[in-house]
Amino acid sequence: MEITSTIDGDLVRLNVTGSIDASTSPNVEQAVSVALAGGKRRLIFDMRQVNYISSAGLRAILLAAKQAKAGGGGVAVFGLQPDVEEVFTISGFGKIVPIAASDAEAREKLGA
Amino acid sequence: MTTLTLADEIVVLMLDDGAGQINPGCASIAGIAIAGGILMELALRGNIDTDLKSLFVVNQTPTGDALLDECLKEIAAEPERHPSTWWIEQLATRYDDLDRRILARLVSAGILREEERKFLWVFSRRAYPPVSGREEREAKARLMSILFSDEVPNPRDTLLLSLADSTDILTAILSAEERDKAAVRIEEVVALEEIGRSVGKVALDIRTAMAMAMAAYH
Repeated sequence: MEITSTIDGDLVRLNVTGSIDASTSPNVEQAVSVALAGGKRRLIFDMRQVNYISSAGLRAILLAAKQAKAGGGGVAVFGLQPDVEEVFTISGFGKIVPIAASDAEAREKLGA
Repeated sequence: MTTLTLADEIVVLMLDDGAGQINPGCASIAGIAIAGGILMELALRGNIDTDLKSLFVVNQTPTGDALLDECLKEIAAEPERHPSTWWIEQLATRYDDLDRRILARLVSAGILREEERKFLWVFSRRAYPPVSGREEREAKARLMSILFSDEVPNPRDTLLLSLADSTDILTAILSAEERDKAAVRIEEVVALEEIGRSVGKVALDIRTAMAMAMAAYH
């Protein structure tokens, strides 16, 4: 898995490639910590290149949402592939983390 | 201070403090809840992971907790992958003394005390009343906090709520009015974690089978 971040004003976009699972979720947590420590409150996960997510991966995004919300911000995701979208749907993740079809929609959902 | 595992916490919550035993309303699914708690703890510690199809080991490093490590070893030794519902049933069936083992470790940790009590003046049975009840109060406070706030729940509390919901403990903790108020939130939080959903499914299957058996008997 690879993760890169792009800063855009008050927002950080995390571009993730590959699988988010128990072995790679610490990288997600690290990237989120760095983003939030830098004073950013809103995070967008670009999931277009994510082909698999396990429970540990979902947990990492849940923790990101918890941390961002505690700081008065939030997290949104966009570009879910069908298999990943199924995981988000079954877990009802959309009720906690806004799911968008595009970057623009994700920004809108976060009020950015 | 002893850090309780989710399996420990669900036993503390299932205990009828006065009787010092697992509440009869939870007894039929206590093993399922404890097995689920063990798997959840292994997941939170990064030893196992799950997806919509299966549960699998990702790190065989022992946790240092004898019960968790025994179960981890068994999962690691299984050549085929199985869904978490299979493992919940497997562990609950294989280890039919899970409740006694958890009670014994809670006694060792000074959270419960073990007593011999008489009933019908002749028979004796073991009872496990809480020493201070602090652990139960803290677990209940965490559950109430998830239910009645709009905060994003942390994974450990999410999983504890799943266990509490599966074992029907929430009906004892919450008033009818509170249950109605929290119903949507319970449903949302319980859905978040795959192992939590699986414990709920196995518990429901058992309750349904028991209800059908009772109906057939009457």
